[in-house]
Amino acid sequence: MKKNRNYLNLIYELSWLDFKLKYYGSVLGIFWSLLKPFMMLGILYVVFFHFLKVGIPDYQVYLLLGIIIWNFFADATTDSTQNMAAKANLLQKTNLPPFIVVVSSVIQSFWTFVITLGIFLALFLILGFHFTWSVMMLLFLVIILVFLVFGVALIIAPLSMHFKDFRHIWDIFLQMLFWVTPIVYQYTNVPEKYLKWYLLNPIARIVIDARNAVLYNHVPEVKQLLITTGIVALICFAGLAIFKKYNRAFIEEL
Amino acid sequence: MNVIDAARITKRFRIPHEKKTTLFETALGYVKNQVTYEDFYALRDVSFTVKRGETTGLIGKNGSGKTTLLKILGGIIKPTEGAFHLEGVAAPLLSLNVGFHHELTAEENLFLYGAILGIPRKEIREKLREVLRFAGVERFKDTKLKNFSSGMTARLAFAMMVQTDPDILLLDEIFAVGDKDFIPQCISVFRDYKRRGKTILITSHDTKLIAEHCDKTMLLEDGNLIMFDETRKVIDYYMNGNGGPHSQL
Repeated sequence: MKKNRNYLNLIYELSWLDFKLKYYGSVLGIFWSLLKPFMMLGILYVVFFHFLKVGIPDYQVYLLLGIIIWNFFADATTDSTQNMAAKANLLQKTNLPPFIVVVSSVIQSFWTFVITLGIFLALFLILGFHFTWSVMMLLFLVIILVFLVFGVALIIAPLSMHFKDFRHIWDIFLQMLFWVTPIVYQYTNVPEKYLKWYLLNPIARIVIDARNAVLYNHVPEVKQLLITTGIVALICFAGLAIFKKYNRAFIEEL
Repeated sequence: MNVIDAARITKRFRIPHEKKTTLFETALGYVKNQVTYEDFYALRDVSFTVKRGETTGLIGKNGSGKTTLLKILGGIIKPTEGAFHLEGVAAPLLSLNVGFHHELTAEENLFLYGAILGIPRKEIREKLREVLRFAGVERFKDTKLKNFSSGMTARLAFAMMVQTDPDILLLDEIFAVGDKDFIPQCISVFRDYKRRGKTILITSHDTKLIAEHCDKTMLLEDGNLIMFDETRKVIDYYMNGNGGPHSQL
């Protein structure tokens, strides 16, 4: 009964649709999404560098790299809590796998992330910094990050289909997660006895290693990378299992 | 040869007495131990077979389970009990303009809708003009869909839909849209599908249409398959109210 169908075209069309609609009708269009990390950078820089005097060297690039990685995670997962409901008609009236709605939603956010990351690297060089070949590690970290976002999206998409208030819970959770990720501060500021737990946060691990690779020309430890990969793999498998089990049943409830 | 073979399909919906749609309410419900359900059977023990090339009508009142049956056969929802087997690829066309977006132009919508239907991008590009002409909206290809009338939108969707080539078509009330000029166009496409030996399941409240095009017809009532026979007999039964206490319509 099943004929293997090529869903690449559909994923392309859906992610392009979301991309177009997201910035549709706004004067600045796509620039809003590029503006957002820089607005955040401006605010956090003034507050933490000038008011609170955090004293981290090259704080502007330190902060910006963290913000860009964080924004991708936050935007893509938030989208996935809303996208299933937004595509309810499509899911309820066609036999397309709900999986592709999640995939296209993540891809859509990924393009914004790639553009902002490109701008970051350009700025980095313009500001007179330079990186060595350790920057290649960034590629690996981006792949890990995409899998992490994808895994989390697979877990929360069914939850948001079943519980209408889940997106508010996710908003609050993201706010909390933002502060347990070393975006505005250094992870070495975290008290030693909590550090072991703190470093279970995969987003924190990715941010730390990305800074090592780009800002400090320092190749992350293989052991640490393996632990990050392991945590992300666990989340991905959990996501696949949960999504597979519940997505069909929850479509009826949308 | 049987193209559709359905055995004892049952679909039960659980309707909570107090519908809990938020995590907060659910948690509260568990704490107070108040989660009670009522079962609603949309389909009960429905078994039937359809042969290759047959056109089968589905009739019955609103809520009798017609659409649920098509959704199950199309793989959109799973039956609670029972099983079915389909020979070939089934295309559930439950609504014409699924996935259409009013902020996109007609052309952009066709690319999206074509992708939803599973038509390769290259093929969509080749057929674009033909589709727009068939729908009679060639002049408006760069117009946003929000400026289209509902009839024009339906025609556009229909024109794209008929570019697909499934073995089994599951059609839900698709002739209910369109004006007097467009319906004959739909019917001719429908005839063409029949001629090419496609197996078709169609629901409609238009008994004339069913009588004219369907070889056999099923009558559903409250989720039960009451009758599955030659179209003429089923429609006679349905119209003349031999249906006992439920027939006072």
